[in-house]
Amino acid sequence: MRPGMMTICRTSIYFMLTSIVFSTLLLSGCKDTKKRPVMRIGYMNCNNEQETMQRFLPLTRYLSEKLDVEFVAVPVDTHDFEKRFRDGEFTFTHTNSLIYIILRENYKLGLIASDKRGNFGARTGGAIIARKGSGITKLSDIRGKRMVFGPMLAPTGYLAEYDLMLRSGIDPEKDLAYYAIPSGSYKHEKLVYGVLFGQYDVAAAPLLDLEVMTREGKIAPDDFVILAQTPIIPYCTFGADSKTDPKLIDKFRQALLDLKPSDTVEINGERIKVLKAAWADGYEELLDSDYNIIRDMARRVNMPPYQKY
Amino acid sequence: MFKDRFDRLLWLLLAVAITALLILLGTHSPGGGNDHSATGLNKALEREMAYQARVALLQKLYAPVENLCKSGDLQGALFRLDELARTYPGEAHSHILKGEILHQLGAREEAIASYVQGIKLSGDYIDKKSPLSRHDDIRRLVDEGLKEIGGRAKANPGNASLAAAMKNVYYLQSRLAGGCE
Repeated sequence: MRPGMMTICRTSIYFMLTSIVFSTLLLSGCKDTKKRPVMRIGYMNCNNEQETMQRFLPLTRYLSEKLDVEFVAVPVDTHDFEKRFRDGEFTFTHTNSLIYIILRENYKLGLIASDKRGNFGARTGGAIIARKGSGITKLSDIRGKRMVFGPMLAPTGYLAEYDLMLRSGIDPEKDLAYYAIPSGSYKHEKLVYGVLFGQYDVAAAPLLDLEVMTREGKIAPDDFVILAQTPIIPYCTFGADSKTDPKLIDKFRQALLDLKPSDTVEINGERIKVLKAAWADGYEELLDSDYNIIRDMARRVNMPPYQKY
Repeated sequence: MFKDRFDRLLWLLLAVAITALLILLGTHSPGGGNDHSATGLNKALEREMAYQARVALLQKLYAPVENLCKSGDLQGALFRLDELARTYPGEAHSHILKGEILHQLGAREEAIASYVQGIKLSGDYIDKKSPLSRHDDIRRLVDEGLKEIGGRAKANPGNASLAAAMKNVYYLQSRLAGGCE
């Protein structure tokens, strides 16, 4: 080989080697996202999908960072939740406490942690309220009156109050003039306003909604009379499919319990406070036996998963 | 100078006034007379007056909450307390009353946590002699917590939330025993 050719060859080899070394270095510097397993978390809609995603996208991003798993947030309608879980659409769940029990009884859903929010922490209750000055001052006064409940699968907007009435000798099916459930989103707020503005005489209101609406200045404590109050029961709950790796569940739980109000994640270039976005004060590790009080209510009210026809 | 009796009387009165002034200055000047005990007494009195004023103000501010509790409207009292806590954030009395109400409503762990917050802000509530004392209520709550939460914590040793609740129970127990912050 001629000396000129030799020089060209050597230069090409050096160039190729340098390119390979640089490419390798660049690639190794990149985060290998492809290898992270992808898992889905089903979040029960409180009002609508947009709100659900705004609430839980930061939390989902936080969990992805902590567990090195690519979590995907899936907004799910309450009435579709069981079917979509059964079909294997998501591994982790975030639901109200009654849906948790339904999935637990029917599919052995594992308990991870419960949301803490408001005065009662990981628990909350319901109340039967009337407008102050309406002449309704005690529970027995609601016979023959117009009542409004929250959605049927709401533990503290329907189940707990319905159970309370039955235990107090008032049958909602027979002893009221009629009862209704508001249509569309923001049902709990609608029923509070429904009583305030006289559309209904009494309402089954979650204490947490009353607390939040009072804090936001939408209502005043003096606007209503609390006729009766239910026992406090567990609030919204994270669960995991029974086939999920127990170590991953433990890490998931620990990540939730470790969350502090100051923890943030980046969403579209903006730093978002995870707990604030998720409307939570923190998370608590309840025991499944803590949910027995809801099981008893569901049995008495003849509701899923114990419904008998 | 002493032209007549009136002049003499005036000079005498002036002398008496100067003497009285000197005596007064001598008594109240630094290092004079019983100054230390008098100042100490004043400070103690001032402290006592401030404390009594605080107690009276708290009783007045929180009277609507107390009245709702007495009438059995515990949830209404809790809402009213939330309003007051927003107006006077960091006031120990709010935490103590909230603890009492939550306890009555069956939220034991939250009640204990609320008492802990209140007592960390003011030790008056654990002091038997204080008019604000909740010593006996806290004693009952601690006994209940040791039995109920303690039993569950023993049965579930890995449960972080029960462990945190027990930490609060032990904190109250130590303060009852006279431990400091």
